[in-house]
Amino acid sequence: MNRETRFATASDLPPMAVSRSDTTANKTGSWRYLRPVIREKLAPCRHACPAGTDLPRVLRMIGEGRWREAHQLILEENPLPGVCGRVCYRPCETACNRRHFDEAASIQALERFVADVCFDLPPEAAQPQRRKERIAIIGTGPAGLSCAYFLAREGFPVTMIEAASKPGGMLRTGIPRYRLPRRVLDREIGNIARLGVQILLDCRVGEQVTLQQLQQAFEAIFVATGAHRSVSLDLPGGNRAKIMPGLEFLKLVNAGQPPEIGKEVLVIGGGNTAMDAARAALRLRSRPLVAYRRSRAEMPAVPDEVEQAESEGVAFQFLASPLRLRKRNGRIEVEMIRMELGEMDSSGRPRPVSVPGSEFTLIVDSVLEAVGEGSELADLAQGLLVSEKGSQVLSEKESLQFLEAGGLLVGGDAATGAGTVVEAIASGKRAARQIVSRFSREREVVRPAEEPGTGIPFSDLHLETFTRSPRKDPPHRSVAERIARFTEVVGPLDAAAAVAEARRCFSCGVCNQCDNCWVFCPEGAVSRGADGYRLNLDYCKGCGICVQECPGGVISLVQEGQ
Amino acid sequence: MTTLSAQAKVMTGNHAVSHGALLSRVQVISAYPITPQTQVVERLGRFCEEGRLEARFIRVESEHSAMAALVGAATAGARTFTATSSQGLALMHEMLHWAAGARLPIVMANVNRALGPPWSVWTDQNDSLSQRDTGWMQIYCESNQEVLDSLIQAYRVAEKVSLPVMLVLDAFVLSHTAEPVSLPNQETVDCYLPPYQPEWKLDIADPRSFSGLTTPDTYMEFRFKMQEAMERALEEFEAADAEFQALFERRYGLVEAYRCEDAELILVTSSTATSTARVVIDELREQGRPIGLLKIRLFRPFPARQVLEALSTARKVAVLDRNIGFGAGGIFAQEVKAALYNHLQIPVFGFVAGLGGRDITPAVLREVIDYATDHAQPEDLVWIGGKP
Repeated sequence: MNRETRFATASDLPPMAVSRSDTTANKTGSWRYLRPVIREKLAPCRHACPAGTDLPRVLRMIGEGRWREAHQLILEENPLPGVCGRVCYRPCETACNRRHFDEAASIQALERFVADVCFDLPPEAAQPQRRKERIAIIGTGPAGLSCAYFLAREGFPVTMIEAASKPGGMLRTGIPRYRLPRRVLDREIGNIARLGVQILLDCRVGEQVTLQQLQQAFEAIFVATGAHRSVSLDLPGGNRAKIMPGLEFLKLVNAGQPPEIGKEVLVIGGGNTAMDAARAALRLRSRPLVAYRRSRAEMPAVPDEVEQAESEGVAFQFLASPLRLRKRNGRIEVEMIRMELGEMDSSGRPRPVSVPGSEFTLIVDSVLEAVGEGSELADLAQGLLVSEKGSQVLSEKESLQFLEAGGLLVGGDAATGAGTVVEAIASGKRAARQIVSRFSREREVVRPAEEPGTGIPFSDLHLETFTRSPRKDPPHRSVAERIARFTEVVGPLDAAAAVAEARRCFSCGVCNQCDNCWVFCPEGAVSRGADGYRLNLDYCKGCGICVQECPGGVISLVQEGQ
Repeated sequence: MTTLSAQAKVMTGNHAVSHGALLSRVQVISAYPITPQTQVVERLGRFCEEGRLEARFIRVESEHSAMAALVGAATAGARTFTATSSQGLALMHEMLHWAAGARLPIVMANVNRALGPPWSVWTDQNDSLSQRDTGWMQIYCESNQEVLDSLIQAYRVAEKVSLPVMLVLDAFVLSHTAEPVSLPNQETVDCYLPPYQPEWKLDIADPRSFSGLTTPDTYMEFRFKMQEAMERALEEFEAADAEFQALFERRYGLVEAYRCEDAELILVTSSTATSTARVVIDELREQGRPIGLLKIRLFRPFPARQVLEALSTARKVAVLDRNIGFGAGGIFAQEVKAALYNHLQIPVFGFVAGLGGRDITPAVLREVIDYATDHAQPEDLVWIGGKP
C-alpha cells in the first residue's frame, strides 16, 4: 500500500482491515529461515532392485492406465520384465515401505501385468550400429542377454555365442515351464535379437570356436557362461545307483525329454533347484521327498517356492542327510542320518551335525541331487581371466583396467556362483556400462541401486491421505490343475486389480503429482506444471505445510543459506 | 406466554438450537463435540446428511479450528454456525477476537457449563462471561422457545452490524430438558432473514488480504467502529424483536421487567433462574410484598438504558449471579452497578448462587430477597445455597 495513503476520517475506513488490492506486492523478504526444496529421494523398492527399475514411476503409470509407457520405463533398466515378473525373488517387495502400513505392494504381479499387456506390441526397432567396436558375449542367459541389450541400445555390434541349440541359458534349461512359459522367454529374447544382436547357437567355445579366435575378432568379450556345473556329494554307492544331478534332470524335463525316474523320488537339497526338481517330478506323476540337512528356516530356496511345493504335495524331511546308496531289486536303498543344528558356520547359519545312531533307510526309485551349482569358468578361460579373481566380482575399476588390458570381462553366475536372475541382469548391465565406458571414455553415472543407504525410510513419509487396503495377489491355479501338467501356476492380475494395486504405491521419494503441496500451501506459493511443481520463494514463509502434506517425502525443509 | 401453533414440537434446548440453525439456512457448520453441546451438532449433521439443510459440515480437531474454519467461511460470505461449551469455548478464545475484529456475523450457541478444574459438566455462566470483552454479542435464554427464536434474531442483528453473536443456554436445565417449541414457518423466516450478502468478502476474482497488519494510524478507528456497531446493535435488537413479534407473535425484549410496578425491591436474574424467580415473585406478591423481577436477556451490548429505566422506581436491587468474577464479585452485579452509577443512588446487593450446576431453587431466591429486604446497605458479596 502507498505509504502516503491516509484516512482522514473513521468513515473513510471499511468496517474491517482489508487491502485495497491483491497482495502480490507483499513478499516474504528475509525473515524466512527454513526453505522447502523439491528433491526426489530413492525409493526403497528401486534401491533394492538389482536392476534399479524405477518402480514408483512404473506403478504410477500403471495406476493411470499408461501401460505402454510403464513397459518402456521398465525396459530402460531391465530387458526381461516378462521373465522377472514371474521368477524374480522380489527384493522390491521386501523393501516396500507399505509393508509397515499394511502389506507390501504386489510389484512383481504388476511388472508381469505390463509385460503381458504389451506382449503383442511391436518391439523396439533395430538400432543403427553406429559404434565400430565389435563385442562378443559368451552365454545367452540373463547376464549375457542384458549386456547384449544395453550394448545394442548404445549402437555396438554384438554377437552372442551359445553352446546350446536355443538361447536363454538357465532361464531355459533350469526354470520349469510352470514358472516361466517358453513363449514369454522366446518373446523377450526375440525383442533383444531384433535390436540387431546376432546370436550364434550350437557354438561352444573351445569346440566350434576358440577363445583366441574370438579375441582376435572382437574388441571386448563378456563371459556369462553361468553356473551349470552341479556340485555332488559323491555319496558311496552313487556311481552304481540311479542318481542324477537336479539341474541335469531339469534340463531334460525342460527340453521335453524327461528321464524315467519311477514313483518314489528323493530330492537332496534345500535350494531353488531342489524345489524345481521336486515340483517337476510331481508333475511327472512321481512322489518326491525333499531331504534337507538343516531346518525349514535355513532353506536357501525362495519361501514362495517352498510354500507352493508344499501345497502341491511335495513331502519334506528336514534335518536329514544321506550317508550312502545301495542298489537293490531295481530300487535304491538310501541310508540316511538325522541331523541337529550346531554352532553358526561361516555362512551365518547353524551347522548341521549328525546325530550318532540315528540312521534310517529310505527305499526310492531314483535320487536327484541338488546341493549347489558352480561355474564352468575355469575350463573356458584357462588362465586368460584374472586368475585370483576368477570366481569373484571385480570392482568397477578393476574390470575397466582389465578390459583395457585386453582381458575378458566376466559376469553373472559365472563370476559369483549360482545367484538370481535379476542379479545376473544387473551384472550384464554393469558389464555393458563398463564396455561403453572403455570405448567412449565417458564418465560413469552411479546407478540408483548402487547408491548407499536403503532408500527413503517409512518414517519420512506422510500418509494421512492413505487408507489401509489389502494387497492384491495374482490368482494361483488349483493344485489339481497345476500338477496335472506343466501349465503356469500363477495367473495374471486383471486390469482393474492392477490399476487398484498400482495406486496403493506410496511413491516413496518420487513426485507423483498428487497436488497436495499445491492444494495446501497457504501462501499460494506452489504452482503446477505438466512436469511437476515449482515453489515461488518470494511468497513462501517456510511454514513446512507442503513438507507435511507430501506423502512421498519428496519435499524437504532446509535452513536458509544451506 | 407462548401460544402453541400446529407446528409445535416437544424438543430439548439443544435441538431447539439445531432447528434454529436449520430455519436460518446456515451454509457452513464447523464444530467439535463437547458435553453438553454435542447433540446440537449431531442433529445438524443429520440434517445435512438427509439433505434438509444445504450446508457444508466441516469436521475439525479442536474448537479453535472450528472457529478458524468459520472465520474463513464467513469471510468468503457464508452464513456460519457452531456450538460449543466451557473448555471448548475457552480454547476458542483467540479466534473469538478474530471473528469480532474481522467483523464477521458468525452465530454460536454456547451451552453454559462450569469450567474445570475441578471437572464439571453442569451449568454456570463463567465460560461465556469470560469472553465478555471479545467483541461478541451475548444473549442469555430462559426457555427452549426463546433459544430457537433468539437464534433467528441473532443472525438478523449480526448481519446488520457485522459482529458475531453468542447464544447462551444453561447446561441440562435447558440443553437436555424437553419443552414444547413452536416452529416458525420457513417461508416467513426467509422473509425475516434474507440471504447474507456482505459488502466485503473474499473473492478470487478480486483478490484482497483481510485482517493484515495495521499501523497505529488506523488500528484505533477499527476499534471505534466496533464499539459504534455494538451501540447500533441495541437499536437493531429492538427492531429485530419488534419485527419478529409482527411476524411470529413472540417478543422478548433486551430486558424484561416482570411485576416491577411499585416494586421496592427488584430481583435481577438471567437465564433459567428467571423462570423460578417468576414463581417466587408471584408468591411474594400474593403475600403483599412489593417485589419485582428484571430479566437481563442481552448482556452484550449491555442495555444500560433499559436496565436503568426498569430499576428507576426501586429502592433496592438484588442481583443474582450464577458466576463469579474472582476478586470482584458477580459479573451481572458489576454491570448493573455500572449502569446505575451516575444516575441512580440505590443499594445494589450482589448474590452468587448455583455454581457448577447447584440448583437455584425457590428457597434460594427467597433467601436472596429476604436478605436484601432485611439489610439496609449491601456489605460483602453474599453466597447463597452454600454449605455452612
